[in-house]
Amino acid sequence: MSEIIYGFIFGFLSSVGFGIITNNPRRTLIPAGLVGAIAWIVYIVVGWYNHGLIMPNLMGAVVIGILGNLFAILVKAPVNIFYVPCLVSLVPGAILYDSMRNFTLGNDSQAAYGFVKALTVGMSLAIGFIIAEVIANKLYPPVKRYLAKREKR
Amino acid sequence: MGAISERDIVTLCGQVGTILLENGAETARVENTVEYVGRAADLPVVCHATMTGIFVSSEKSATTRIFKVRVGDFNLQKVDDINTLSREFTSHKITYEQLQNEVDRVENENRDFSWLTKCFGAGLVSMPPMLLFKATWGDLGIAFFVGIIGYVASQYVGHHTKIPYIPVAVGSLAISMLAHVLGIYGIAHDANYIIISALMPLVPGVPMTNSLREIIERNTISGLVRATDAIMSGISIGSGVIIGQIIIRTVMGG
Repeated sequence: MSEIIYGFIFGFLSSVGFGIITNNPRRTLIPAGLVGAIAWIVYIVVGWYNHGLIMPNLMGAVVIGILGNLFAILVKAPVNIFYVPCLVSLVPGAILYDSMRNFTLGNDSQAAYGFVKALTVGMSLAIGFIIAEVIANKLYPPVKRYLAKREKR
Repeated sequence: MGAISERDIVTLCGQVGTILLENGAETARVENTVEYVGRAADLPVVCHATMTGIFVSSEKSATTRIFKVRVGDFNLQKVDDINTLSREFTSHKITYEQLQNEVDRVENENRDFSWLTKCFGAGLVSMPPMLLFKATWGDLGIAFFVGIIGYVASQYVGHHTKIPYIPVAVGSLAISMLAHVLGIYGIAHDANYIIISALMPLVPGVPMTNSLREIIERNTISGLVRATDAIMSGISIGSGVIIGQIIIRTVMGG
């Protein structure tokens, strides 16, 4: 349980932090942080039941995609603005670094192994986004129409 | 609309696309936005965007322009500004002249968070991996500060050199030296965990994922360009860390 609470806090902080580095518009910082925190929790919880690399990342990306698209409609911003900061805690950066470090040290087989792992994580994130976008495209047009109607009134 | 020549519209479209691409939008989005703006200005244009250049061509005549692009850091504020402008223009809330002035303003302006805030952000990004390693609170705090120092080092070098990949290499060099010194003196429990956490703001994870997304959307060229870029900066980060390790080992004999 405490893992979930810490996960929420630090997922939020890291998404907001990366949002600051990439100069996100200020009005999107808090939503981006929320999406990142929820995605991080999903990542942890799925990781309890499935010890592979693929499922936790894929589910995290699906959550980012669905919530990111929702907030993109609510805050009226391009969806990429939510993807970039929320991704930072899931992304295979550390694995890629480790693989490239082994490459520099001459441990070629470990470098190749790490690189394949980084590609796996990246692929599962990308596929998660595609799944989320398919769902979002079916789900959100009614929300959009409702908001447009309310604005006109 | 009589006074505006076709060439002006094509140029403006290219300008819009260049700003979007340079600051981190994906190519499909750039092409869409440019074509929307063109249609709203009564000139259907065709746009082809890759990571290194944008081609904008008018469908009515043979007017074509090529724009060179140097993809840099993320600056999502500009992406959002341009997106808002193009949305307002396509729904005819602002005129063509207003759009042109605003695009020029966005291109030159530098609305950014202050240095201190950015450093604080870099520190925040450096913390979450420590949770996965079940690190102590002390190490968590150290990762926060080492992450800030690495980010500042890479930004400082980035302002003074135009050579790509050197900034991240220097940033990771600083992180690695600091973490190993702290590890040798026993202040930090595990230097390697601190290095991995503190590298989070520098490491090319997001470009890597974006490149795979582009490949899946069949923008193969842009995807490969981004992937190569990510791997190159991964290599420079790795070598930076190794060099730092070697230096510290030689000097302090750890």
